[in-house]
Amino acid sequence: MSSTSQKHRDFVAEPMGEKPVMALAGIGEVYGKRLEEKGFDKAYVVLGQFLVLKKDEELFRDWLKDTCGANVKQQGDCYGCLKEWCDAFL
Amino acid sequence: MSQFVENPAHLSKSRLKSDLVAHSVELPPVKSKKEVYVGLHLQHIGQKNAVDFSSDEEDQVQDVSDKEEDTEMPDPSGLTDDDLKAALLEHGVKAGPIVASTRALYEKKLRKLLQSNGHGCLNGVEKGVLYSDSEEEEENGEEEDRELGSEGEKEETVKQSDQAQQGSSQVELCFQNGGFVYPQCFLLSSRLHARASRNREPSPKWNSGNAIESSEQSRPPCSQIPVGISRASSVDQHSGLGSGLDMPIVDTMKNQSLYYTPKASSYEWKMKLTQEPVKDTVKNMFPNTDATTTGIYATRRRPIKGAAGRPVQYAYPDTPVSPTTLEKREVERRLVPIQIQILVFLIVTCLLYLIYVCVEDNSFGPSVALLDRFYQGSDSEEGLLLQAETQDVPAPSRQE
Repeated sequence: MSSTSQKHRDFVAEPMGEKPVMALAGIGEVYGKRLEEKGFDKAYVVLGQFLVLKKDEELFRDWLKDTCGANVKQQGDCYGCLKEWCDAFL
Repeated sequence: MSQFVENPAHLSKSRLKSDLVAHSVELPPVKSKKEVYVGLHLQHIGQKNAVDFSSDEEDQVQDVSDKEEDTEMPDPSGLTDDDLKAALLEHGVKAGPIVASTRALYEKKLRKLLQSNGHGCLNGVEKGVLYSDSEEEEENGEEEDRELGSEGEKEETVKQSDQAQQGSSQVELCFQNGGFVYPQCFLLSSRLHARASRNREPSPKWNSGNAIESSEQSRPPCSQIPVGISRASSVDQHSGLGSGLDMPIVDTMKNQSLYYTPKASSYEWKMKLTQEPVKDTVKNMFPNTDATTTGIYATRRRPIKGAAGRPVQYAYPDTPVSPTTLEKREVERRLVPIQIQILVFLIVTCLLYLIYVCVEDNSFGPSVALLDRFYQGSDSEEGLLLQAETQDVPAPSRQE
């Protein structure tokens, strides 16, 4: 049994389309709101940022922390979710 | 040591351009002639080596503003995107696109690198560290252990690879410091630490000898070193050290594979190579080995029992056996061996077949004959009895 959450599995299972940013693993109501305020209102925008950072884990985590104040676990969840999505669909 | 300094005139225009960008020097107008680039290159990259570089150069106009940024780049937020990228590249970080959303992150990263560089410089940190005069002894202490008959070209090879991303100026720094810095690739083989610890004494002498020789670049590559290294080193030797960043980038590729080969073959190294330098003291330590042309001495490690088809030459004690295995063996001993089981099975099968045949037969004649034959070898009395029985049986049946 992998250590991924249901949210993670749901996200990675299909193309993200127009899913909101709160559909990302590790991003809940609070962090989602903060991201939306910064302009990252859809999951694909966060994906864009992830890709622009060349899928670098450290940079992405730093960015997430700076942008919405996510803690280490949530940073990791979000990174893992996006990474897996990219592996599957990109 | 002028030969170690790269000659910008030998570099291509694009190479000069990228070098200048790496040193955050403003590029002259696009259509400038190569001499302009060469001049700028000489000035700025030369400036890093000589602190009291005279400022009487022709292209002074552009350089005045660049000089301040040249040495440290203290304020990442003051840099342009390209400059920031170049600065990160110098520290070995391949930055992605620097756009609005990523800029802050990269600035933070550069700040972190600048701080750590300032602190870590003198500690002789492995990756991407400036080798300077003050570090010679520390590195000697660390890296003496790692000479595997390496020569000057190897230090240059590895140094080039290590610092490819840092820029040519730092490479030159190292070269100018002479042959007291040792190959990076052997950092991985920490096993050699233990082995080579006894070599500390002969190695300083060897170092000085090496320093002299490295400048001559006359030593032949060691044959016992993994082929990749020797190949790379010889290539470097021939291609000349003045080639700047071209070679280091190529070397990085090669040396990355080199890094892997030492890792992969570190076991082999431990077994075969100690790479002792050619010295009387060493010869005394290994009186049994013949002098090789390359001066490499190798001691053979006891080979693994039976591995790779090697015959078992050494007496090894019996391998310890787990209790479960012991139990199994005990049980097996008490049970009937398989061979006997198969034999019994076959006998039983034959008997059953015979009985089947007997039952199948309608007439008793052949069966009686069969039985007679079967009991032929037995006692005559028993045979008669049987005959009597068989006769008796049909008799009552006939009577019925």
